[in-house]
Amino acid sequence: MRNLPADLKHALAAEFVLGTLRGRARRRFEAMAAGDRELARIRGLWEAFLTPLSEAVAPVAPPSRVWRAIEARIAGPREGRAAGLWSNLAFWRFVGAGFAAASIALLAFTLGQRAPVAPEPVLVAVLSTPEQVPRIVVEQPREGLLTIRMVKPWVAMKANDLELWVIPKDGKPRSLGVLAGDRDGEVRRAGLDELLHDGVAFAVSREPPGGSPTGQPTGKVLCLGAIARSRRA
Amino acid sequence: MSTPADAADRLAALLAASALGDRKAFAELYGATSAKLFAVSLRIVRERQLAEEVLQDGFVSIWHHASGYSPAKSAPLTWMAAIVRNRSLDVLRRGSREVEDVDEALASTLVDRSAAPARDAERAADRHAIGECLGELEGDQRQSIALAFFHGLSHSELARHLRRPLGTVKTHIRRGLAKLKDCLARAGVAGADGP
Repeated sequence: MRNLPADLKHALAAEFVLGTLRGRARRRFEAMAAGDRELARIRGLWEAFLTPLSEAVAPVAPPSRVWRAIEARIAGPREGRAAGLWSNLAFWRFVGAGFAAASIALLAFTLGQRAPVAPEPVLVAVLSTPEQVPRIVVEQPREGLLTIRMVKPWVAMKANDLELWVIPKDGKPRSLGVLAGDRDGEVRRAGLDELLHDGVAFAVSREPPGGSPTGQPTGKVLCLGAIARSRRA
Repeated sequence: MSTPADAADRLAALLAASALGDRKAFAELYGATSAKLFAVSLRIVRERQLAEEVLQDGFVSIWHHASGYSPAKSAPLTWMAAIVRNRSLDVLRRGSREVEDVDEALASTLVDRSAAPARDAERAADRHAIGECLGELEGDQRQSIALAFFHGLSHSELARHLRRPLGTVKTHIRRGLAKLKDCLARAGVAGADGP
């Protein structure tokens, strides 16, 4: 890819976002931006500059058939889609970046509280909501055991259970069982260490009583957090 | 009373939940943003049928790419509007299109700064920066940029509509955009950091 001067990149990106770059030139720009991070970044800047002007447009309610059509198009089978999203590394990076500050503060607190003689945990994760509120600290103090500490417990739920998932590198969540959302808990089960060994994150979803009927998350994901390992299991 | 920042946070949370496959969150996201985004597309493509298709494709794309949204880079509505605008520009049919309301777009952004009610305003500071920077442009530059942005007019459509030579219109756009960038950098809008 030819390396364009910065002001030309700005000029092209600006006209792309403004909409005056049309037809073949528009498609060529898109292809270039796909292979040129700097150009893509500059396009992002111009989107952030100009697009907020759209707010000034008076809203027009679309007919309800639009939503029905969208619903039908995104209906697809849950498993396939879930795996695709869960394994989306960009998403995990986003989670990692967005949740980092709260997690680090809480980790420092958690580790600071530990008695000096206690062994370092194998892994720690702070699970936060999409609004970035920390809810759960998951720790593996030793092989074969996970401790679940509710930073901010849920009120007891009769109609639902919370289910804990470990997300491995391949992105397909594995169930670690059902949690009580209103109090601290533990996970002890056969094969726990195998389930955890390539885990990159934990997530908690809301599921029907007894846990997900499909073996994959079916309900709302309430919180999630990346796994920090202090030593190898 | 929710602030613009609260509203943006809510949309960001709904996008994050949508990325995890939460359809209820996605339905709420649609409810909160579809009228705005439909209007954005309708202005550009000018045909209801086509605007409906754009909105549909746009939201399917938002559903599939929700995990790619980064709150650090843009406000959620900005990110979604960019997808819908881009799609609208892609499907624009060629040929001459009449623009009845030349000054409407200008009026809604520049003259009436209170056009967007507080509940819709998002990243109000940035929007004001772009509004004020547009105000600093010369009339011809501002008019060309506003017509292109809101109505999706191409260079040649602008030339026809404004009864100016094509080259003149291109120059207005190019110089206007360069001035905008300088102005946004002065206003301290994140990322407007010069070439």
